[in-house]
Amino acid sequence: MYRQDVLDEAGIEMPANPTWDEVAEIARTVDSDDMAGICLRGKPGWGDLGASFTTVLNTFGATWWSANDDGTIGEAQIDQPEFKTALEFYTGLLADAGEDDAANASFNECLAQYRDGKVAMWYDATVAAGLLEADDSPVQGMNGYAMAPVVETESSGWLWSWALAIPQNSPDPDTAWEFISWATGPEYIAAAGDLISGGWAAIPPGTRLSTYELPEYQEAAAAFADQTLAAMDAAPIDSPGTTPRPGLPGVQYVGVPEFQDVGNRCTEEFSGVIAGRTNVDDALSACQDIASQAVS
Amino acid sequence: MTIEAAAVPVGGGAAARPRDEFRRPWRLRLPLLPALVFTILVTQVPFVMSIWYSLTNWKIVPPTPRKFVGLDNYGKLLDDRFFRDAAWVSVTMTVSAVLLSLVLGTLLALLLDRQFFGQGFVRTLLITPFLIMPVVAGLIWKNQMLNGLYGVLNWVLERVGIDSIEFVSRYPRGSIIAVLVWQWTPFMMLIVLAGLQSQSSEVLEASKVDGASAFGTFRQLTLPHLRSYLELGALLGTVYLIQVFDHVAVMTGGGRESTNLPYFVYQRSIGGGWVFGRASAYSIVVVVTSIIVATVALRVLSRLLKGEEIA
Repeated sequence: MYRQDVLDEAGIEMPANPTWDEVAEIARTVDSDDMAGICLRGKPGWGDLGASFTTVLNTFGATWWSANDDGTIGEAQIDQPEFKTALEFYTGLLADAGEDDAANASFNECLAQYRDGKVAMWYDATVAAGLLEADDSPVQGMNGYAMAPVVETESSGWLWSWALAIPQNSPDPDTAWEFISWATGPEYIAAAGDLISGGWAAIPPGTRLSTYELPEYQEAAAAFADQTLAAMDAAPIDSPGTTPRPGLPGVQYVGVPEFQDVGNRCTEEFSGVIAGRTNVDDALSACQDIASQAVS
Repeated sequence: MTIEAAAVPVGGGAAARPRDEFRRPWRLRLPLLPALVFTILVTQVPFVMSIWYSLTNWKIVPPTPRKFVGLDNYGKLLDDRFFRDAAWVSVTMTVSAVLLSLVLGTLLALLLDRQFFGQGFVRTLLITPFLIMPVVAGLIWKNQMLNGLYGVLNWVLERVGIDSIEFVSRYPRGSIIAVLVWQWTPFMMLIVLAGLQSQSSEVLEASKVDGASAFGTFRQLTLPHLRSYLELGALLGTVYLIQVFDHVAVMTGGGRESTNLPYFVYQRSIGGGWVFGRASAYSIVVVVTSIIVATVALRVLSRLLKGEEIA
């Protein structure tokens, strides 16, 4: 997601399928005292910094762990050169052209800064587009959208969902099911467009294909609807990187039980690099120990 | 001593014999038994279970059969750099927060001990930070005071021409200590104030008549008098602050400079690590060392302040 007006003013055009090098160059060019070049997640947490950064390390050809022949979790791979290149790229870009207090920023912080006009670009989930183009957004109509940047892989980006479930001890599972069916169904989408303050653009994207056939949505979400579908299609959930890895399918996380703890503690280290408290080598060596301990 | 002396005449004489049955220690203590059993059930049983867990390799994700491994977990503990880091954070965080809040609390108590207009109101205001929930205090400080973009502190700094500082990201431990001090200074203040108000005014007047300076009076008379109050404050403060968890969880969510032992044990167990065996060993070590440290520290402190009294 990027500010079309800012890039136009700088005479830059964003490619439809950019590489990370191209994005980094644009970020460094448009970066100024008043507006950061790009907003990337830097807050510790496997689902915060861990999500954004894992997509980057995937496309740089790195992986958290190798996979054994049967697909189970193998050795920790944090000490590999590709991982280091990816981390140096990510933290270097944030140092040169990142948002203020990057070590504390995740989705919500970046959303606030982008809507405040404090950043020119933002790499995050497609759901953000609807919030930027909502009726109550100060940057409505000022944005362009491109595919997730790549390096070694064909495509990057991620896929995630939030789900509802009925507990086994629910006193009334039928009503619960009725509610869930309604809340995730086309009826809700049709009703929400007129009711929520952000208007049609801000309704939940990517939950149903039928949403994209509604004329109201096609009109309100013209800027990003096709891009959202394309990004979901392209998310490389079965083969996110260049080498075999455990925990597939999964892009921005490793689908193994060890990842929650390792992701949390390693991103604490990486966030320390972003904050300037530690350096890349220290963080990587700590993270290699954490990831090795988890599988020992 | 006085109680025993008083008990003798009552218990003497043949008429008192049947009542002696009721005076037997076990009868007197009987009503306390339910409370004792309850306390043992909720504190000691889990503790013994933790000791047992710490001798196993229990890990629930991925589910692994529990196996007795002896002292293996304890052996690995010293090699674990992350445990050492967390231990060091715990020590520095607790010691600096306790000392700073004791000093600030004493200063505030000295001020509050004087008569002035609106004393009650000021005292209430000063106590307020202690009444705020730790999670709320952590969040308020992180988002409203220390935040690099929207924080009050940075707003002030910018007014005087200093670039904004991202306190929590840059100085995670210092930021947490600052909030702890802010919350615990009122507690120390209350304890020291109680000490000050129990000081006899005659002694103070006598020292004034003898021509002692204000500082001399404080050093030679007030401080020795406050000794037991300061000890109490330090002990209670240490006991509470060594288990700080909320501030770490909401302000930084951990990290090399802010993960203290309680947060580390949480991370390694229900916080996503799921290695209950090893995490139990960590917590056992923490409990035992804190008891030792608290005992030793209290003795040293006590001797230190006693020396002052003699001098």
